[in-house]
Amino acid sequence: MNTHNVYFLIAIGIFVGALLLVAGYYYFQSRRRSSPANWEDLFAKLTWIDRNNIAEVALNLVDESGQPKAADDAGSMEPSQIWKLIGGLEGLEILERNSDVLIDLAFYVQQWYPEALAIAERLRLDARELKWHVARLKGAAQKGNLQVSFPFYAQRAVVSYYRMTRRLLSLYEAGNLSMLADLQRAL
Amino acid sequence: MHLTGLDLLFWAAGFLENLGLLFVLWYRRRAKGFPFFTALITLVVIKTIVLYFVLHYGTKDWYFYTYWSLTVLDTALQLCVVYEIASRVFKPLDVWAEDVRASYAWLLGLSLCIAFGLTWLASPPARTWMQAFATRGNLFAAALQSELFVAMMALSIDARLPWKTHVAKIAQGLGAYSLLAVLIETGHSYFGVGRQLPAFLILSHVRMAAYLVCVNYWMINLWRDERPARIMTPEMREKMFTLQTLVEYDLQDLRSRKKL
Repeated sequence: MNTHNVYFLIAIGIFVGALLLVAGYYYFQSRRRSSPANWEDLFAKLTWIDRNNIAEVALNLVDESGQPKAADDAGSMEPSQIWKLIGGLEGLEILERNSDVLIDLAFYVQQWYPEALAIAERLRLDARELKWHVARLKGAAQKGNLQVSFPFYAQRAVVSYYRMTRRLLSLYEAGNLSMLADLQRAL
Repeated sequence: MHLTGLDLLFWAAGFLENLGLLFVLWYRRRAKGFPFFTALITLVVIKTIVLYFVLHYGTKDWYFYTYWSLTVLDTALQLCVVYEIASRVFKPLDVWAEDVRASYAWLLGLSLCIAFGLTWLASPPARTWMQAFATRGNLFAAALQSELFVAMMALSIDARLPWKTHVAKIAQGLGAYSLLAVLIETGHSYFGVGRQLPAFLILSHVRMAAYLVCVNYWMINLWRDERPARIMTPEMREKMFTLQTLVEYDLQDLRSRKKL
């Protein structure tokens, strides 16, 4: 066997091994995510957070329909107050995890009602926005700039989460689904 | 060209099973949803018929050129099927999902580079340049396809984009087949191609057997219906329509803001 062939076979071995590893990793991840067989299991994955605090932070920047506020006092909340109400970075990480569950709850409905696709897709994009804000904050924390960046990004992340919760509730309300009451209590 | 009983058995089984899959695609009305996949299976059926007649009534050269021309077309259609699957997954609202477009383009570029790299490393012991070109071409196509399927899977799970059952089944079949094809093409690049080589014959039979398994998998899964949608009451439909209109307006607004 010449050296060229040895290199070729090693390269193919690494290539196939890497593809199988990546495929296996994502396959098991998707199985783990989609494992809850029913709505209750999905719902149980939501971590409790104080919805009043979320609303207070979000409504300082947007109105109840999620549109930016035109008032002069919009965005006037003190950084220390925002930090306290949402529980700092840990609180934002909970919002990040919950946002994934909210998407799953929307896709759960979409499996039976294909018309809900646009709402599910909008929720997915909201969650990406939320994650983008949280990622900026994590980056700022590593560089020691958290204090400066926190009010701007944290409040916007909370607004994204707030919009997601409103949209999901509207979806369940429109679908006249029996799970609406549970969802209203949690969100 | 001398064909053994096993060759003829694989040939006949492949032809009949592809016809069966075509029947499922048309009878169960899946063809409209998967035009490239249907075209690919149609081409495989036509290829079998054409090659059968060229083998019996044509010359060796005719067979060679017909085989490779149809194989190039087959590979091109397989890449179109990859596009078809990607568009089903990453265009949930008939527009490429904003957040995955860049990642998909990046992964496509990376996949092309890796496939080129592997093809460049291969040095198939071929008698003619055409044989060497074809062996490298097959390796390139198999490597690219398997990478794209894994990339699509990773990207969609990461972005939390769901797969519809039929799209997932077509992708799983083609993905597994193309990964096995990488190993088979590696064997061809290492041992060489030609019916006089026992390794070539064994690898060809393994490929045909794997393809038959895939066709059966597609036939069973495409015959089955996807999860049935529930029927909405007129009141629910109206509420959902209002909500959808609001959200679509939001989405358009978001897209136009990102373009600025």
